[in-house]
Amino acid sequence: MMVHVLIVVGLLVSAIQAIRAQRLLHSALWLAVTSVLVALEMYLLGAPEVAAIELSVGAGLVTVLFVFAINISGEEGLAGERPAPLIVPRPVAGILSLVSILLLIWMNLDILGVPVPAGEPLSIRSVLWENRMVDVLLQVVLIFAGVLGVLGLLAEKPAAEFQSAALRGAEPVHLSFSEEEPEPLPDHDVELEGVQQEPVPALAQEESR
Amino acid sequence: MTTISIVPIAIIGLLGIGLYALLVVRNLIKVIVALQILVKGAMLAMVAAGSIAGKTEVGASMALTVIVADTIVAVVGLALAVQIRRHFGTLDVRAISTLRR
Amino acid sequence: MIQTLILLVICLPWLGALLVWWAGDSRPRLQHGLAVVFSAAAGVAAIALIPNTVGKEAARLPLPAGGVFGWFSFTPDGLGVFLTAVAAVIGCLAVVFSVDYMRGEAQLGRYYAFVLLFIGSMTGLVLTSNMLLMFVFWEMTALCSYALISFYNDDPKAVAGGMKALIITQVGGVGLLLGAILGFAYLGSLNVDDFLQRAHLLPTTALTVAAFGFLIAAAAKSAQFPFQTWLPDAMEAPTPCSALIHAATMVNAGVYLLARFYPAFENVPYWRLSVMVVGMLSALLAALMALAATDLKRVLAYSTVSQLGYMVYAVGAGGIFASQFHLLSHSVFKALLFLAAGAVIHGLGTRDMLQMGGLGKKMPVARAVFVIGAAALAGLPILNGFWSKELVLEAGLEHGPAWIYAVMLFVAGLTALYTFRCVWMVFYGAPRSTAHAHDAGGFMRAALYPLAFGTLTTWLLAGPFSQMLHDSLPQHSIHTESTGEVALVILTAPATYLALAVVGLGLLAWWQRERLALLSEPLQDVIGLARNSFGFEAINRGIVSGVQSWAENLRDVQTGLLNWNIVGILAGLITVLVIVALGA
Repeated sequence: MMVHVLIVVGLLVSAIQAIRAQRLLHSALWLAVTSVLVALEMYLLGAPEVAAIELSVGAGLVTVLFVFAINISGEEGLAGERPAPLIVPRPVAGILSLVSILLLIWMNLDILGVPVPAGEPLSIRSVLWENRMVDVLLQVVLIFAGVLGVLGLLAEKPAAEFQSAALRGAEPVHLSFSEEEPEPLPDHDVELEGVQQEPVPALAQEESR
Repeated sequence: MTTISIVPIAIIGLLGIGLYALLVVRNLIKVIVALQILVKGAMLAMVAAGSIAGKTEVGASMALTVIVADTIVAVVGLALAVQIRRHFGTLDVRAISTLRR
Repeated sequence: MIQTLILLVICLPWLGALLVWWAGDSRPRLQHGLAVVFSAAAGVAAIALIPNTVGKEAARLPLPAGGVFGWFSFTPDGLGVFLTAVAAVIGCLAVVFSVDYMRGEAQLGRYYAFVLLFIGSMTGLVLTSNMLLMFVFWEMTALCSYALISFYNDDPKAVAGGMKALIITQVGGVGLLLGAILGFAYLGSLNVDDFLQRAHLLPTTALTVAAFGFLIAAAAKSAQFPFQTWLPDAMEAPTPCSALIHAATMVNAGVYLLARFYPAFENVPYWRLSVMVVGMLSALLAALMALAATDLKRVLAYSTVSQLGYMVYAVGAGGIFASQFHLLSHSVFKALLFLAAGAVIHGLGTRDMLQMGGLGKKMPVARAVFVIGAAALAGLPILNGFWSKELVLEAGLEHGPAWIYAVMLFVAGLTALYTFRCVWMVFYGAPRSTAHAHDAGGFMRAALYPLAFGTLTTWLLAGPFSQMLHDSLPQHSIHTESTGEVALVILTAPATYLALAVVGLGLLAWWQRERLALLSEPLQDVIGLARNSFGFEAINRGIVSGVQSWAENLRDVQTGLLNWNIVGILAGLITVLVIVALGA
């Protein structure tokens, strides 16, 4: 029991710290700590496979992604922005989230008193692949969509061509599907490397200010 | 403390922190962090519900789906944040809205 | 066997659409060939389905959704198979016609893909017996018709026409969904046969809402009053598409819906009367507007609305067989008329009848088939239009109020009048323009001749057709009659000769039009109103500008600030939680 309490307290503390951190990098690291503790809790609740996956994905992959993104986009000093008024004033935000939490608690009052047993881990394989086959298919679709979205987002050149063509008053480009596919893929590897060079001198300028 | 189960408190705490943070933060990457915290609360809720009902595998498979979905959201969100930083020069949510008001 | 045929009829056109798109616009001959082959294969499969008609569910598709939406089942009963055959065969002929009409046009892949997709969706719509799947196919046909109307997408009129068609038919789709959901909520099943058998178990208000929802859906899809404004504007589509979608298949979906669900709703108070009134008003208004129109395709569009009004009127009066028989005749002769008009337009380059005249000498083939189709439309004897229109009028006389019958009789006269006006203005008289016109090409003739032959002969199928309907639709009370009996009944009824006399009056009015011009002063006001489509266009414009100004005013709420949006989400979440907590 004590173990549960410790983990939960650590969870909440690191979540709060993740929000309050001044530097984005610290935020990402506190998030990693939260992930580890959540994984531990899930293992204790009886789902070891999910705990392992959460550990590798949440604490590993997502943290690496955050660090990568923060590096590219650069840290902005958050201290300078304190005086500017928030869009949603803090008391209102506090009240709104408190109200929703209280509602949730009230709706679930009956199960709060039930002690959480450590259930035996059963075979997740059959459940996942038979009953919840639609879920698995949706996950595959999601992954494809995510990959395509990121490829589209991080590609710079074709968008610029469209924009400049529109500005020059050229005819709208007729996208017939047979033409579109061969182009973008070979360009990307070259582009990403070329593009990474740009923000760094900008960052150097900002930090020296 | 022993009669009130501690796990629902964790879930509700995580959800509350995530919601409050979404309302208050201004930096786009912090928004993604807040989303991640929110989803971890939901994931924990699914596993806990599965274990209370006795069918841990159902809760676990749902949590698995949520992990995949939420990771994709983080990936795409971070790619968006990177592009926004390039085009607008800042990650402040107030500065990136170009809708006419 | 039946399952394979059903699968082929629906999936062959879709496969063809995929292959045509994949073939690419750089190989137009391959695209033409693929389109013709796949639509012909679908037509053959549809005809092969006719002898295999059964009254109960023949194929079902289990999807891994846990059966919560019911089985996705298909029932090839008489109504469905008949409409499938019409859609597939006339679709095939329209595709054959397109080989000549669309020669040299750009973006053929998009055109053929949507035409084939459309044929497949239409066959799926009439064969399925799951109301949710019916709604899905309904929306797919609306999408395809929008894409084809706006095919020339750099022409703003075409785009506007496509959007109007899409919006109006979507509004109708809501009616269909409402009826399906009400059925599911009270009866627990989305199956059409279940609904027909147990419809009387619904509480009265729910049944009334479902009945009128279906009526709205059918009226929107078939361009009946008050939704008739989209069909004339949809004439911006390439003419083979107009023939396919707006004369032979898609608009028939509304009449199909009413005919299919008639046993469930026939006892709802005022429903049958509303159906008949809707049909009557559409027939009357459209006939008047056709009389005033000067664009060749618009005249045909208005005549489609008018004839659909006849079919709807017949369904309201309870004559299911009469309405479906008229649907068969109408599909054949209207497709013939549209394709012949397409030949004229393609040869001449314009749609304006004021610039045509005396084309009969230069385009003899087009004139011949057009005259055959026009005679069928006007209801001249021997042609299939005559037999089916008389059946409709008879059914209306027996089971409906007499005043509606009188109006429909008057509209029959008007039909003859505007038909002959149209034929005269295009093919006879002095030539008004000196443009060079070439006659219909080889592929066009290959499509026109079978249709003309059909116009002369499909009435002979009345007997076997009514037998097929009777055997496979146990809930609609259909009487079987052989062709000879039908012919005898029609020829010996005095109502027939009354109708023929009115048609003759219409012909006479055209011949003596100079003399009657003196009488036509008060009629000029009506004609002026008809030119403005009786104010319905003004209503449409008013609705559009109202919605736009309302949206402008709401724009202040959309700030684009992330935190503000989250507040909105959270407020919505709290509202939902409160409602759920209170209701639990």
